Amino acid sequence: MAFYRGEEGSVKFDDAGSSNSAITSTRSWSLTLDKEVLSTTVMGDTYGGNVGGIIQGTGSVEVIYTASSADETAAFIDHINTATDEGTASFELFLDTSGDKKISFDGVVNSAELSATVGEIEIITVNFTTNGTITTAI
Amino acid sequence: MAAADLNTIRATIEARLATELAGSPVIPVVFHNMPYTPTPNSSWVQCQTQFGANEFLTQGGTSDSDNRIVGLVIFNIFSAAGVGPGANYVIGKRVRDLYNRINVSGVYFDAPEGPQALTPAPEGYFQTQVRVTFEFIEEL
Repeated sequence: MAFYRGEEGSVKFDDAGSSNSAITSTRSWSLTLDKEVLSTTVMGDTYGGNVGGIIQGTGSVEVIYTASSADETAAFIDHINTATDEGTASFELFLDTSGDKKISFDGVVNSAELSATVGEIEIITVNFTTNGTITTAI
Repeated sequence: MAAADLNTIRATIEARLATELAGSPVIPVVFHNMPYTPTPNSSWVQCQTQFGANEFLTQGGTSDSDNRIVGLVIFNIFSAAGVGPGANYVIGKRVRDLYNRINVSGVYFDAPEGPQALTPAPEGYFQTQVRVTFEFIEEL
């Protein structure tokens, strides 16, 4: 049995959806996967019936602002400002440092929160919604 | 990137003070683990650099990741007793101005505390203390 700590995680991204690169200085990421529940209950049933429906996810990545332009970090932070977003940006959320355990999907950056607070490191929170297939290799 | 060299950080902090107090009027400076016998009724400064609790700052393994190193610099300022605090506070201002909200070689200094009068002071001296917390981002 193995345990993992949050600092082992990381994020890769490509706004063009082809070749993912690391996002530097990520502080955290989170992903919530939701599945719609469709009722199959019919008249005369004693117990309710349900089946799973459409699956999609939403999540966020916290990035410490470093003005990095060497990788996909700048593109990731600025992706909210994409005029025509077809949801083809590629995301990979890693659970460990080996690179084997990850959740990958295409998605849309639907909001970003930039902040600067006295005495604190500047943080940018990027929120996203998945588009299409979600692959969980965990 | 590489692990932080704590001695480099210490030297950055101490060199700044040594340079300032070597200027007119010269004030003797004593750093950690150094013997010093003060001249009676003279002014002098003791500087102690301490490293404290550090923490993970970003995700990642032992490379391409960052830690936050936090520390504290304590300046004990001694001046002649029985002649008021003025001379002591003049030194305190010089010390305070050296570190107030500045970033030197990646060492971020916070707003200084003090000079705060301490009692009891060593016999024959009036003592104040200036404390400055600092942080350094270790880029692995």
